[in-house]
Amino acid sequence: MVRTAVIIPAYNEADTLPGVLAALEAHVPDHDVVVIDDGSTDSTANAARAGGATCLRLPFNLGIGGALRLGFRYAVEQGYDRAYQFDADGQHDASQVSALLAGLQDADMVIGTRFGGDDGYRVGRSRGLAMGLLRRMVGQICGQRFTDTSSGFRAFRRPVLEFFATEYPVEYMESVEALVLAVRRGFVVREVPVVMHDRSGGRASTRNLRLAYHFVRLLIVLLAGDPGRGQRRRTQS
Amino acid sequence: MTVETHALLATLTVLAVAVIVRLVRRQVLKAKYTVLWLTVGLVLAITASVPTLLDRVADLLGIWYQPTLFLLLAIGFLLLLSMHFSYEMSRMEKRIRALAEELALLRGPGDDPPDHDRNHEEDGPAGEHPGA
Repeated sequence: MVRTAVIIPAYNEADTLPGVLAALEAHVPDHDVVVIDDGSTDSTANAARAGGATCLRLPFNLGIGGALRLGFRYAVEQGYDRAYQFDADGQHDASQVSALLAGLQDADMVIGTRFGGDDGYRVGRSRGLAMGLLRRMVGQICGQRFTDTSSGFRAFRRPVLEFFATEYPVEYMESVEALVLAVRRGFVVREVPVVMHDRSGGRASTRNLRLAYHFVRLLIVLLAGDPGRGQRRRTQS
Repeated sequence: MTVETHALLATLTVLAVAVIVRLVRRQVLKAKYTVLWLTVGLVLAITASVPTLLDRVADLLGIWYQPTLFLLLAIGFLLLLSMHFSYEMSRMEKRIRALAEELALLRGPGDDPPDHDRNHEEDGPAGEHPGA
């Protein structure tokens, strides 16, 4: 039987987490949920355990990339065959998981895209512009078209998990970088249209100025060539 | 250089060297920084006690406004130093991250959040995603 892990990074999500865990339990009861408590100051860890999830607590906040990397590492160490990320704030729909995982049949990594789905996900103007530019750049670099480069609804086969367990980018807006890394590594990445909700709790973790800064940083990282190669070399030494 | 400026320089140098020696004697610096700062102190002391030295070197290099030489060297040195610190900080951050991961895995799934831990975190200035 294929063992599947659900990786949920959570930073102060005690309010929304119970609902998310309940939805997962209802739709995919045989998946093992691991919540990465990213240095929360509220009762996120208790909420996770009350909801029947495994909870790993980071001693301080590492940001979503750091939390995810720990999740991948955990999934690898526990011998899971595949895993997928899931948001703690209720943005992702547990009913879409089967569609996402079905994509893994002919891919190493699957991204649930908000575009091309039924609900016509809409974003603000500047954000839309930034995403459009990113999309084009990523398309250039990868030689493959992606409609939703920053979606956090993603599933991975074990080889990708092993790769990301040590190499997952830890800076903010890491999802785009991770996508490029995976493609450069030669993994087959494909998109699957899914339906997503508006966030039920928390805020979008982006304020405009910060978004702008990280957007520029990301452009530099992407343009500067393989962002992972240097890191890889350093980890080996 | 007038007597007044020389006196000012000498005072500042003595102060700087005093701070360096104090730090070194209390052994709060790593050995390599001890050596580094002692060297800096020595160079400062020599420059201040032999005021003509800087002028002569500047002349030799064809720099007609002598203080430029000092500023050039100082800025170059500081630039290199801050680059070195950036490098060290990046490396340390990477190690701290790895340690945090390791700790979370070692704590394991059974670990309950202790109350004092959370209180401590509320006291601290940390909070909003510092990693970003």
